[in-house]
Amino acid sequence: MRGMLLGVSAVIFIAAAAGNPRPPQGASEPSQAAQPPAGRGGGGAPPPALPTPRLPDGTVNLGRVPGEKGAWRVPYITNMGMRLVGSDGQPLPELRQAQAAGRAAGPGGAAGGDGGGRGGAKAEPWIPWMPWSAAVYDYNSRNNSKYDPEGYCLPPGGPRLMATPYPMEIIQLPESRRIIMIFEGATHIWREIYMDGRPHPNGEALNPTYLGHSVGRWEGDTLVIDVVGFNENSWLDYFGHPHTDKLHVVERFSRPNKNTLRYEATVNDPGAYTRPFTIAWDVPWEPNGELQEYICQENNQFLYRLVDDFGQPIFGPRRQPGELPTGAGAR
Amino acid sequence: MTRHLAAGLVMLFLTAVPAAPHHSFAAEFDASKPFKLTGVVTKVEWQNPHTWFYIDVADEKSDKVTNWAMEMGSPNGLMRAGWTRNTMKIGDKVTVEGSMARDGSPTGNARVVLLTETGQRLFAASSQNDN
Repeated sequence: MRGMLLGVSAVIFIAAAAGNPRPPQGASEPSQAAQPPAGRGGGGAPPPALPTPRLPDGTVNLGRVPGEKGAWRVPYITNMGMRLVGSDGQPLPELRQAQAAGRAAGPGGAAGGDGGGRGGAKAEPWIPWMPWSAAVYDYNSRNNSKYDPEGYCLPPGGPRLMATPYPMEIIQLPESRRIIMIFEGATHIWREIYMDGRPHPNGEALNPTYLGHSVGRWEGDTLVIDVVGFNENSWLDYFGHPHTDKLHVVERFSRPNKNTLRYEATVNDPGAYTRPFTIAWDVPWEPNGELQEYICQENNQFLYRLVDDFGQPIFGPRRQPGELPTGAGAR
Repeated sequence: MTRHLAAGLVMLFLTAVPAAPHHSFAAEFDASKPFKLTGVVTKVEWQNPHTWFYIDVADEKSDKVTNWAMEMGSPNGLMRAGWTRNTMKIGDKVTVEGSMARDGSPTGNARVVLLTETGQRLFAASSQNDN
């Protein structure tokens, strides 16, 4: 029932979003390419998409229009392995077939997950695995992502920021030559993108962090962000694609119409994958969206209930045989 | 009829709200072990990343009372689904549907909460279908 209603909602949303806005200027961004044809919802013509908002100097506005509310409703994308696109911005053909099959039958398909199930590395032959990254991914698949760092309230790194639910905002500060992104979810964090032309720090000066070091520039109407300096404490997605500190991400943000943020990320990690690959998805605008407080660390009982592969608590004292978890002093 | 239509619309709205995943559902709960339990609320932890509430459930045969812990979505997800922190209070009688914990403890992931007094049926922002 819920899945069916979600499907109905999705069709309504697709119908609303599939208008034909003007293409982005400047960069040849294939933003509309991946969208389904208009009129799929059955009824009459879809409403026209609102034009891309702009700042007074003509730069694309990736945030709110003054006087209005609004936030980007970040989708829950559990498996980035199903979001690979080719150089044309379209999903890989073999992946489209697998995705259709996954949507029909796979767990998560109805709930906004990606389908695809939990087939491990061999179910995603389009990922340029190394033996070790395939093995780690298989392990994470087998144990249902039990050790997902986000379950510990640790932040996502790289593209997963745009795949972890709850709204986010992009705040452009051209006068100080930087852009701030704030995330309600993803452990309630913010990120700063330097727009002043500075290079990444070199050597020891580049301190490995969850979010890395971000420098941005505009290519026409596309914000291009180059990120390096990741630590190895995060996963690329919920399904558990690993990465190393050699990870280099190039992100491309564009807004082909007011209601759509097109996100693309090229993932280049020579420590974990034999060649780069690009993932992409659209993020819908929530016109009345506003961010709420979300302090993940407040009452994270998952920590106290989580047991390792030998049945022992990850945190807290060892259990006697047959002893049940007690929760965070709740009972 | 109007009421049913309105309820339907509310359900449409509620179900369109993205669930609030935070940790692996499948690592902790078993979707193949559904439950439907009725009990009295003894405690509500309206906190992130998941709201937990506790109900006393009496066994029909032995009258033995067990205190069950129930996980829902975050206050953020629940508020977007129409809840407030006072929607469910200590002493309320509720019927909860969801999935049981894998570890055999009296713990569940609540998918739907029915408030007995008002008949209000509330989507609990569970992340059950997300993996």
